[in-house]
Amino acid sequence: MKSYWRSLEERQNPEQFKIDDARAEIDQKRDLMKKDAGSSRRDFLKTFGFSIAGAAVVASCKKPVEKAIPFLVKPEEVTPGMANYYASTYFEGNEYCSILVKVCDGRPIKIEGNDLSPVTRQGTSARVQASLLNLYDDARFRGPQKNGEPLPWTKIDAEITESLQQLDTSGKKVVLLTSSVISPSTRTIIEAFQKVYPRVWWLRYDAVSATGILKANQLSFGKAVIPDYHFDRAKVIVSFGADFLGTWLAPVEYAKKYAQGRDLTRQAEMSRHYQFEAGLSLTGANADVRFPVKPSEELLLLKQLYNRLCLSGGLPPAAGDGQSPVDLTALAEELTRHAGEALVVSGSNDYRLQLLVNAINHLLGNYGKTITFDRPLLTRQASDEEFALFLTALAAGEVGGVICHGVNPVYDHPEGEKIAALLKNLPLSVSFSDRIEETTAVCTYVCPEPHYLESWGDAEPKTGSFSLMQPAIRRLFDSRQPQESLMKWAGQEVNYYEYLRQYWEKELFPKQSLFDGFRQFWNDTLQKGVFELPAASSPLAWSEAGLTEALEAAGPASQGWELVLTESVALGNGKFANNPWLQELPDPVAKISWDNFASVPVKWAEENGVTNESVITINGLELPVFVQPGQAPQTISVALGYGRTVAGKVGDNLGVNLYPLQPVENGVRKFFLTGVNVELTSKRYPLAISQTHHSMEGRPIVRETAFGAWKVNPAAGNELHAIHESKMVTLYEKKEFKGHHWGMAVDLNACIGCGNCAISCPAENNIQVVGKEQVRNRRIMHWIRIDRYFSEQPENPRVSFQPVMCQHCDNAPCENVCPVAATPHSDEGLNQMAYNRCVGTRYCINNCPYRVRRFNWFQFVNNEKFDYASNSDLGRMVLNPDVTVRSRGVVEKCSFCVQRIQDKKQLAKIEGRPLRDGEIQPACVQSCPSNALVFGDMNDPESKISKLMADPRNYHLLEELHTLPSVGYLTKVRNVAES
Amino acid sequence: MNKIHIRKSCGTNLFCSIFLAVNLFFFFSTDVLGAGESESLIAGGYSADEIKRGERFFKGLLPFERKSPACISCHNILSSDTLNWNPSAFDIANKFAAKDFNEFRSAVLEPAGTKMTASHVERDLGEEDLKLVKAYLDNLAQQGPPHVKPSIDNLLLFLLLGVLITWALLELIFFRKVKIRAIPLVVFLGAFGWQVKMVVAEGVRLGRQQDYAPDQPVKFSHKVHVGENGIDCMYCHTTAEHSKSAGIPAANLCLNCHILIREGTNSGKFEIAKVVDAVAEGENLEWIRIHNLPDHVFFSHAVHVGSGKLDCNTCHGPVEEMHVMKQFSDLSMGWCVNCHRETRVDFQDNGYYDTYVKLHEDLRAGKIDTIRAADIGANDCMRCHY
Repeated sequence: MKSYWRSLEERQNPEQFKIDDARAEIDQKRDLMKKDAGSSRRDFLKTFGFSIAGAAVVASCKKPVEKAIPFLVKPEEVTPGMANYYASTYFEGNEYCSILVKVCDGRPIKIEGNDLSPVTRQGTSARVQASLLNLYDDARFRGPQKNGEPLPWTKIDAEITESLQQLDTSGKKVVLLTSSVISPSTRTIIEAFQKVYPRVWWLRYDAVSATGILKANQLSFGKAVIPDYHFDRAKVIVSFGADFLGTWLAPVEYAKKYAQGRDLTRQAEMSRHYQFEAGLSLTGANADVRFPVKPSEELLLLKQLYNRLCLSGGLPPAAGDGQSPVDLTALAEELTRHAGEALVVSGSNDYRLQLLVNAINHLLGNYGKTITFDRPLLTRQASDEEFALFLTALAAGEVGGVICHGVNPVYDHPEGEKIAALLKNLPLSVSFSDRIEETTAVCTYVCPEPHYLESWGDAEPKTGSFSLMQPAIRRLFDSRQPQESLMKWAGQEVNYYEYLRQYWEKELFPKQSLFDGFRQFWNDTLQKGVFELPAASSPLAWSEAGLTEALEAAGPASQGWELVLTESVALGNGKFANNPWLQELPDPVAKISWDNFASVPVKWAEENGVTNESVITINGLELPVFVQPGQAPQTISVALGYGRTVAGKVGDNLGVNLYPLQPVENGVRKFFLTGVNVELTSKRYPLAISQTHHSMEGRPIVRETAFGAWKVNPAAGNELHAIHESKMVTLYEKKEFKGHHWGMAVDLNACIGCGNCAISCPAENNIQVVGKEQVRNRRIMHWIRIDRYFSEQPENPRVSFQPVMCQHCDNAPCENVCPVAATPHSDEGLNQMAYNRCVGTRYCINNCPYRVRRFNWFQFVNNEKFDYASNSDLGRMVLNPDVTVRSRGVVEKCSFCVQRIQDKKQLAKIEGRPLRDGEIQPACVQSCPSNALVFGDMNDPESKISKLMADPRNYHLLEELHTLPSVGYLTKVRNVAES
Repeated sequence: MNKIHIRKSCGTNLFCSIFLAVNLFFFFSTDVLGAGESESLIAGGYSADEIKRGERFFKGLLPFERKSPACISCHNILSSDTLNWNPSAFDIANKFAAKDFNEFRSAVLEPAGTKMTASHVERDLGEEDLKLVKAYLDNLAQQGPPHVKPSIDNLLLFLLLGVLITWALLELIFFRKVKIRAIPLVVFLGAFGWQVKMVVAEGVRLGRQQDYAPDQPVKFSHKVHVGENGIDCMYCHTTAEHSKSAGIPAANLCLNCHILIREGTNSGKFEIAKVVDAVAEGENLEWIRIHNLPDHVFFSHAVHVGSGKLDCNTCHGPVEEMHVMKQFSDLSMGWCVNCHRETRVDFQDNGYYDTYVKLHEDLRAGKIDTIRAADIGANDCMRCHY
């Protein structure tokens, strides 16, 4: 059997690792006890006695009087105790998602993907899921402010209007600095604003922009757009540093399509995915073939690939073919074979690289097939070069005022400090931000906008594809939509909702033919959340403009260390740093939460005695080290988005801000540096690494095979399953499930390890954030974890992801060790957990072979020592009323979202019909962007789950133990030559 | 409404009782201080003496000649007046606090409703006296309702038993004055046994509140609405069939009828006016919740009423006979589980149960004659606890 390892220590010496790991665990616990031991036994007894007495007095003598306050006038659609779902739109930090908001008793409590959306197709990302918590963030502004002091809207409006008029006459520019604006109605409002104040310069700024792609397409096709990439149609996908499953452009959409092109439960073919990159990204971890290369070598690689494709296409190759670090012959051949059904992408922000990618795709005839221009992506419109112009103007004193909307350049621009100093001196600086952040802190006026779940709005993420945003809760604070503010300052009293309706009536209603009346059209779109116009298919003419220069361009000298700056899958560009759910989500590859870190290559670390948690300095910045298998030699990857200083109580001062190191070349921001100075230090820094938690001791838990082998034998790689099945003997009576028998299938081939389920689950099940220290103490509460295993060579390992939740074993080892029968088996095959019965012996945890049970070591809700989301009334508004908030001292674990099962069963019973297959979707299943999880009734032979359970790829974790899990895993299939 | 409901007074041990006693001492002492402070408040330019006079008049304590009963005989000052249909002094005080004397006067002396006319007619109330009554009421509205003194019978009994035990023990071990040794022994055993019984009884009732019948902000009578007028439960509790919550009707639902019916046979105009005013003024009616389940219990009316077709009476008792709504069942887990064991499931007619193929076969084959809720997992932990 292939050997899998979770960390380098384990790979080198598995036996020693086991001992060390156990010892480390014991040491940690001992430390913990020592630390807690500030109090003596007597203190304990005193507290114990008093608390018992106090509790007895309070509990037995007085029961709180609860009030029931009904509506005075009940709104028609609201029923107490029943959730409503409203379609809305998420767009923040350049990420778009069409969503459904679950609203219970007036509070949004969960976000789910909208299955009607043609763009995101029920997909969500971790950030979309977690954005719900931002609504209940204590760091939000309670009302408008001037210099940190509250000021009523009327006064603020008067002062800003006066200031705008003065600036307009004085001849100075006022810059309206926004992130990409995909709302068509907002665009018209900004244009109207500019008409009133002609000196307003509308500038779009994205921290991670698509300048390179926009510029390259401007040259190649005469249009600065981001085309539509069809990862589902491609048979061969080649990515040069584009983390399209994690962070690049529109990962939700791409993940869906990518998984579709590799779904072996529907088709007998899958794409082959090549990845060239420095650090091991989420996308690289999913690649069939991965080449660790330095980022500076990408230009050379692209040139060579282009030349080889020219050669095989009978075209004269261009000059400049240097020594390539990777032999591309085979790749070029494969691409040529799949001309028209290949897709080459690059994550570079350098337009010359993107030009080469365009040329390669053009040579392969991919345009019109795997890349189309009928629905360009509009979520990244900003150009770095334009922002550079703004900086020059700002420094030269030509700018008199700045109005910021959705941007935070003081934090996420390399020259943030300079910008902060300049902004402070401006006569007018306004921020629309709804919570504290670095840029807002230096602005004079704060005109807080409502959270997107409190707002009206529209969006056009891709040309011709529209969606609406509607408020799901009454505004919690005194906020105002920026659209209304802008119009107010332009002298117009506008209700943005009315404006939006009028805009849609005027602009979009005439373009459709389905509805006769606007009201019907509006209501229908509002209900569905999305509306699409037929695609305008106008093939763009290819031009070779700029290509020659790109081919002749010399890349940066590849000398010394190279530092690669990436976005983290959880935090993105850092906008959501104050979100504890995202902070606690372990990085998909490194499995580290609460910090960013320097991923260094294995070999170098070994040679220099650097281990995890060592501290190195990179150009003077101190960073903790994570020795990352698969990291290209002489490269270091670090995630951006950390090191916020003004984010709120959770996000302040976590990790290190790398933006100041980011180089800007000709106004364009680059995402790697060459010639970096790396120095060792003797310091250590503790990291919350959860990758080695819950060890399964190296048993055959991940099974995989090669695509070729699978085609011959669908059970390839899963031979053990048949063997175990044939040897099953039991003393226990086989349990009979008379009605339902719930089960879940996890397609390891589809799972991309994004961690979306690990956010969706806490949101649904009130799982608490425990903080860095407790994560280090192996007490992370997530009910679903994604195990990440490496195999083969540490220099370039193969990666497998495996989501593990409670397996709901029919012969559950946990059940028969509970002394108080708090965890029995249900009639429907669920392994139940009765919190109110649990006394916290933790026998079940010790007896669970899958390590999926969690213990509440502390009370995490309403405890100032865990001051994350649940320590204020505002933060607790996110709690799901249908799920118990667990207290200290009880065990908890995945329940298959039993509240959802019960809810749908109740509905079916009332309607007097059987349950439909797929009607029940636990939170993880609902949120999975790649449809890797399937839930259903195994007693129904026609259900999807029954079919998957019968799939030759299906196996169970540790099936030799005969625990009879209700969760099945489908073997991972890699599209590689050998097995 | 600043009410304090102490429904259970007890002690689980002596320490507990002392603790409570100390607490009560502080409670009362602060109360006395509070009262002293508020007496100096002057409402509408009246002196404390005058307000006192108004109060005495209201309570019928003034030595003056009149044949009709005092105000207090109908209008209770304590907020706890469940037996009385008339508005309490505090209710009246609140209603007229913001209104001037003339309105008050005309409301008292020229009543519009029949019930009030019947009782207020031919009252010899002098203008001056009425003014002082109004001043007293205004003062009352400012101060809030008088506190209900918690009943401490159980606690006193418990303490007394404690004293007896102490005495008996001392007598047995040290004093040895009583000749018949059995007496202190019997006293000790009896008192201790009684205490244990009290503790056990309290322990079992812990967290349960059968027969809980708190005062509500509006004297709404289920007996009048359901029993006498025959209104269906679902007319008001509309969501019982499809939501987990049966729903307390929104005030505008009351107005479906009470937009016309403004006077009740028992309560006159005052109580109905509260609902009408609440809607008109946009002020919430804050009902006291009677049926409280612990947070870790999930209960859905929809399953029981919507698909189980249970009668409301099964759990809520003879609501049609209750003027004051009370909790009929103890809502304990044993009560739930027993009912699940006994209740038959509508297995044949509800299409949902088609999934249970095997059980249907057994039914047809006559192996089993009926399916009860517990047979299909109604007593599984995670039906109610999740």
